[in-house]
Amino acid sequence: MITRELLKVVDVSIPAPQYVKLKLDAGKPMENLLPGMFYELRAPSQAGRLFKPISILDVEDGCLSFLIKVVGAGTQAFTQVKAGDGVEALGPLGNGFPGIEGRRVLLVSGGAGYPPLAWLKRESHQAEFCLHLHGCASADEVFPCDLIYTADGSRGSKGLVTDSVESLIIEHKIDLVLSCGPIPMLAKMADICKQVEHYVSMEAYMACGIGVCHGCAIPVDQSYKLVCKDGPVFEANRIRWSEL
Amino acid sequence: MRYIESALGRLKLASCVTVASGTFGLEYFRLRDAAGEPLLPQESLGAYVSKTITYEPKAGNPSPRLCETECGLLNSIGLQNPGLKGFLQNDLPVLKETLHIPLIVSFSGSSTDEFCEMITAMEPYQEIAGFEVNVSCPNVEKEGIAFGADPEVIHKLVSRLAAITDKELIVKLSPNVTDIAQMALAAQEAGASSLALINTLWGMAIDWKTGKAMLSKKVGGYSGRGVKPVALALVYKAAQVAKIPILAMGGIHTWQDALEFIYAGASAVAVGTANFIDPGAPVKIAKGLHDYCKANDIHIRDLIAKVK
Ligand SMILES: Cc1cc2nc3c(=O)[nH]c(=O)nc-3n(C[C@H](O)[C@H](O)[C@H](O)COP(=O)(O)OP(=O)(O)OC[C@H]3O[C@@H](n4cnc5c(N)ncnc54)[C@H](O)[C@@H]3O)c2cc1C
Ligand SMILES: Cc1cc2nc3c(=O)[nH]c(=O)nc-3n(C[C@H](O)[C@H](O)[C@H](O)COP(=O)(O)O)c2cc1C
Ligand code: FES
Repeated sequence: MITRELLKVVDVSIPAPQYVKLKLDAGKPMENLLPGMFYELRAPSQAGRLFKPISILDVEDGCLSFLIKVVGAGTQAFTQVKAGDGVEALGPLGNGFPGIEGRRVLLVSGGAGYPPLAWLKRESHQAEFCLHLHGCASADEVFPCDLIYTADGSRGSKGLVTDSVESLIIEHKIDLVLSCGPIPMLAKMADICKQVEHYVSMEAYMACGIGVCHGCAIPVDQSYKLVCKDGPVFEANRIRWSEL
Repeated sequence: MRYIESALGRLKLASCVTVASGTFGLEYFRLRDAAGEPLLPQESLGAYVSKTITYEPKAGNPSPRLCETECGLLNSIGLQNPGLKGFLQNDLPVLKETLHIPLIVSFSGSSTDEFCEMITAMEPYQEIAGFEVNVSCPNVEKEGIAFGADPEVIHKLVSRLAAITDKELIVKLSPNVTDIAQMALAAQEAGASSLALINTLWGMAIDWKTGKAMLSKKVGGYSGRGVKPVALALVYKAAQVAKIPILAMGGIHTWQDALEFIYAGASAVAVGTANFIDPGAPVKIAKGLHDYCKANDIHIRDLIAKVK
């Protein structure tokens, strides 16, 4: 069931410059949520503007957490939110990542693509093996994970999160790769992981968030699929990357 | 809803509030509020207008297809739709089962013959109460606006369609024309039973940091708050010459917006972009209009075209 409601802010924190973490009271136990699912959220000061799609970072004790990177006005507005405020929410939306039970999993996130994979990592006891790589611009954007890559080398390995994916897949006999991040990173991942089962969580500009406006379409197989309704998680080798 | 009952030509509307083609789907009826109640009870709408279909299926335009601007929304969806066959086979049965308000099917063709073939195929379906002829989509090359920018072409097309259908025949006009009055008159003389306006305006957004256009097609259709004054003026101009009712849309977000369109000459209104921003908007607009009319003991019909 998709609801549209005002969720009360329980906690706000700034875990890194340019990021804001929100904990919202869902008012009820949240069931059947999967990593990769998202909400359309809107800060109070953005009344009259479109909602912003944001992945669920965590769900616990009837509360939903989100980790938001500030890139424009819609995301910036979440930094002004205070505990006790109401955040407009439409959700839960989307399909979510496939299960990792008994699999040898590689989780790869870039920048604001961190939340769904951090949630999967917390459930990694279900997997036979699970390694989480996170890549970002600098030490400022580093969040808990197994291996960190920064573009400027200020933390972890210097370079891109995709740099050692190929060798890690072989080394750890990976049979499932799940990734989320900017499109160029996902396209590179798709290219590297052609021989392994690989799912990506895609980004697209959204208006309705529920499959009505056809605005969030991406090229999949022979046609277009909707990121909000058919995704955001897709099998990587079905996406026509060259058209994105 | 007695205070806001209205009509479009042959079609009685229990509420003068409807939804704009391409901006609404059955998905909205499934949304719930915090208490688990439907966010948008169908009864508050006078009619349901479906997304434009074309004869052949259309994949739509490449992404990105959307961009929110200072005061509205740009889109270049490109009429992504399952085509006439797919619509009749898969979508229409679901619409029939779900809807208990009139269904208006929006459609577009790439030639007059194609338009005629489509309406002929749909005419027998009882569950279709009316048609909205889309001659105004700015995002496709062959369909849409190619038909809506020339009064002679409109006249020829609508005459043929009017001869085929006994249902409500709404012609949806484009704002991207020099003289809306000519288009409105052409559609009326050809036998349209009502007019819908406006479709989206040409619009564009560019990222100054990179010089990149925000839509893959570069130019798209502009809708939402920013288009309201333009839409009001066009509805007013069309209403000055047309005797048939007008279904108005373009930047309607509140009941006050809707009331302004009624004053300008609309018999009914459609909520478009506002659905994305506030999924409960059509209900609030219907309730707001109803409460206003009740409080002032007037009927919405008494305000149509009464701008002073
Ligand atoms: C399914 C889904 C889940 C998402 N989950 C999260 C999440 O958990 N956390 C999160 O922070 N973001 C997430 N995003 C991305 C987020 O929705 C966008 O960053 C946000 O909509 C931008 O809105 P804005 O108004 O701040 O910026 P806009 O005004 O829309 O954009 C400002 C500028 O930033 C650029 N831009 C837009 N999006 C991004 C981006 N993602 N990265 C870099 N530049 C961008 C634009 O091209 C523009 O130049 C998700 C997106 C989708 C589709
Ligand atoms: C995403 C989107 C899709 C649309 N699709 C259609 C369509 O398929 N057929 C049509 O006649 N108009 C379409 N329109 C135009 C709307 O029906 C309406 O005429 C226009 O948006 C102006 O109203 P608004 O400002 O309230 O949105 C679309 C508009 C948007 C924003
Ligand atoms: S955002 Fe409207 S269809 Fe996906």
